[in-house]
Amino acid sequence: MTISVLFFGATADAAGTRARAIESGESTVGELVDRITNEIPGLSRHKLLFSVNQEYVAAETQLEDGDELAIFSPVSGG
Amino acid sequence: MDFAELTTQPVDVTSVARRVVPPDCGATVTLDGYARAFTRRKDGSTRETLYLVYEAYEEMALKEMQKLIEAAKKDFEISNVGIVHRTGRLEIGETSIVISVAAPHRGAAFEACQWIITELKRTVPIWKKEVYADGEEWIEGTPAP
Repeated sequence: MTISVLFFGATADAAGTRARAIESGESTVGELVDRITNEIPGLSRHKLLFSVNQEYVAAETQLEDGDELAIFSPVSGG
Repeated sequence: MDFAELTTQPVDVTSVARRVVPPDCGATVTLDGYARAFTRRKDGSTRETLYLVYEAYEEMALKEMQKLIEAAKKDFEISNVGIVHRTGRLEIGETSIVISVAAPHRGAAFEACQWIITELKRTVPIWKKEVYADGEEWIEGTPAP
């Protein structure tokens, strides 16, 4: 399945991109995030939060084809 | 009227505050958050920021701000909430966020405004980069849920 992966702020700098389509054999958010953080070592310097389809989710959440997964550091708006 | 918005343009605080005023209210509490030049670091030193850059995950940020408005209206005796967050480059002293809460009585408006900004800093996906004379840094907040 294809997952659209988004990065913002510090994670976009670490990934060198803001958006990437990734072919995923992983079934959960946590598994795919683990693979991505192995591929992009700079990400592991940050505490990471993630959302699927614009909602915060737990690592055990199942991924579905076409999902939008965002990986980002703790927010600092305001 | 309630509203949650993102904009790259300068924010006019007074006009945001006036947009939330309904006839059944007697007070609006407005937070004007703006870009600070001097930040105290954890080691006690201070560092001068030249300007800020805010970036938002726009779709999700708008949803999360809307959720905060709904939750605040459930938990506090308030009538209307408006939130406007600016993104892009901000000079020192420019407004980054306005939260206006209108209520029949001021107490609830003060409490709700405080609650909303605290939650927003924890949950709404917006990030601040501080740019210094000798570098820059994405600020990381306190982790969300």
